[in-house]
Amino acid sequence: MSRSWLRRVNSLVILAILIMVTVAVVWPILHMMSAAFAPGNNIAGLSIVPFADGFTAAHFEYLLTQTNYPRWFLNTLIVAVCTSAGTLVVASTGAYIFSRFQFAFKRQMLMSMLILEVFPSFVGMIAIYVVLYRFGALDTLWGLVLVYMAGNLPFTIWLVKSYMDNIPRALDEAARIDGASNLRVFSTIILPVSRPILTFLAVTSFAAPWMDFIFPKMVLRSPENQTLALGLFSFVTDKNNDFTNFAAGSLIVAVPFVVFFILTQKSLIASLSSGAMKE
Amino acid sequence: MTRPAIARAQGKALPLALAFMGLAHLTVLRQRVKGVVFAFVEIIFLLLLPDSIGKLGQLVTLGEPQLELPVKQRGNSMFMLIDGVMTLAMIALFAVLYYISVRSALADEHRQALDGKQLSVREQFGAFANSAFHVVGLAPAVILVLFFVIVPLIFSACVAFTNYSAPDHIPPAKTVDWVGLENFERLFSGEAEWAGALTRVFVWTVVWAMLATLTCYFGGMLMAVLLQESKLRIKPFFRAVFILPYAIPVVVSMLVWRNLLNGAFGQVNQTLMAFGLIDQAIGWLSDPWLAKFAVVMINLWAGFPYFMLLTFGAMTAISPDVTEAARLDGATGFQRFRHITLPLVLYQTAPLIIISFAHNINNFGAVFFLTMGDPTVEDSTVTGAGGTDIMVSWIYKLTITLMKYNYASVLAVVIFVVLAPFAIFNFRRTKSFKEGEL
Repeated sequence: MSRSWLRRVNSLVILAILIMVTVAVVWPILHMMSAAFAPGNNIAGLSIVPFADGFTAAHFEYLLTQTNYPRWFLNTLIVAVCTSAGTLVVASTGAYIFSRFQFAFKRQMLMSMLILEVFPSFVGMIAIYVVLYRFGALDTLWGLVLVYMAGNLPFTIWLVKSYMDNIPRALDEAARIDGASNLRVFSTIILPVSRPILTFLAVTSFAAPWMDFIFPKMVLRSPENQTLALGLFSFVTDKNNDFTNFAAGSLIVAVPFVVFFILTQKSLIASLSSGAMKE
Repeated sequence: MTRPAIARAQGKALPLALAFMGLAHLTVLRQRVKGVVFAFVEIIFLLLLPDSIGKLGQLVTLGEPQLELPVKQRGNSMFMLIDGVMTLAMIALFAVLYYISVRSALADEHRQALDGKQLSVREQFGAFANSAFHVVGLAPAVILVLFFVIVPLIFSACVAFTNYSAPDHIPPAKTVDWVGLENFERLFSGEAEWAGALTRVFVWTVVWAMLATLTCYFGGMLMAVLLQESKLRIKPFFRAVFILPYAIPVVVSMLVWRNLLNGAFGQVNQTLMAFGLIDQAIGWLSDPWLAKFAVVMINLWAGFPYFMLLTFGAMTAISPDVTEAARLDGATGFQRFRHITLPLVLYQTAPLIIISFAHNINNFGAVFFLTMGDPTVEDSTVTGAGGTDIMVSWIYKLTITLMKYNYASVLAVVIFVVLAPFAIFNFRRTKSFKEGEL
């Protein structure tokens, strides 16, 4: 009797905590969504109850017609797709070679990559600026792609190599006996088996550029080359408080991300734990 | 060549290979394909040599002031520095290739002595293509990492020993010079304001990283356990909601919070006032201590889902047999959690605390987009460092707004030193290290 009473209190407490956390999690998101549709520009005029100000699509219209938003979106998409594709190609070949071949300086290279992956690439940002200037890649999207790819490589090569190390060597040896070349073993055996980790890599390296701020700020100068993070940031600087337009612009980016995350949460958990814990 | 000829050639490969890249391959080893490639590399290097020596010379001097020339034609010290570092990288690359060519010559010599025959040109091409596979395959990765990761790191370490800063030493109008340890002396002890700011920012960076990691770790674990324990039917709903902060890009969520927390017109204060909980607006982001508190709390909002997901992963890995056995032995829910789930989850996720700490040291987004490093404190006008600035956001300000590149680089060096133990940790925990591959 007392035990079942205790259990009921227990589950009520848990439910109460879950509801409180839900409110805290959802509250700012609701405000962002409501601001995206609210008339007016300034946050000061907004009601404290979400969606109480009425609805208008004016901000979306403003973004699409009066600002460079479509251009920022396109630029960011180009950078994200190229970074993702480039990282996949370079990291998977690199990982395959590190996993399957013996060659001079292999040990030293593996060690230096492990050490490099701890240092964030923007501590060298002044130098990256000058290097890009030297290569004529300043204010270009491909320059930004190169910076992202290079910064990720030490980590991603290790990640993929660790995965490939667990693929039985008997598989490639069998193919090799049948006369398959290195490239053929790589493309017909190793790559298909590594698909889970490569998918994870493609998704994460695609997602990262969407909201990075420091490198675009340094590398991209001209207005037509800006990315989303820079553009959205410019709506809410101290000089400029255009919260409702910012909210509308943010909503357009956030929705695909949220849908994707919720749809893939099961495999997300699996790849997070295998990527982070087992190594 | 016949067998005696090969025997006669023995021992000649080493001096020849050392004398000129590929020479041994072209002569005694008769491996023309490899030899031509190696020799080509050395010829290119020799052609570039005069230029390289000039660049190394400029690396030492960083250029002389050329006040008589118009600004556009003056030498740029920073280009000299970057070219010098890139030249050093190229020389290192050449040295590695040279070493590989000598090793390859010795290996080929050894192989020829064993089987006593030479490869036909066709076989040579086949063997070369196969061994070139890993060289060609790795080349893009090596070149990218070399020029966009290693060279910049060395460059910024170098800048810490120069006077590259506004207003007196910005090329091309003015030159930059090596100043030895002067920047370190000034930042660590020389100028009171800078030394004070450095201590303040450094301590806050470490405290911030600890608080941010621990709150998110335990917050995430708590939510995972609560969800797992509850027998509610709408569990998947809660789970989907709790993932939201992780799915929303940090720039967006932090900038939204920045506006909601605004002291004058933010929704947080307005809501609290409407409920009668407070009488006057609280300056969440304008008081240095409240702002620090806000940064940690908002980071908890954004960061707990990651650890919640990881804890889910770790919990599903626990075999149900163990908990079932404990249940049969009469262990209560709390006991099962305390003695089975918690230790196993802690064991699996503990390394991530350390990784996450290193990540938070550099968590630019969580601080900068919420507070921009503000509010200003006494030394902010001189040093640019605000009340919530961590090392990386201060580096950003020193670089972008104050153009004190020399001080920014000193801070980068400090970050290297702080992160070095993490690099070693990272290294030791890999399977390759444990299995002796490294």
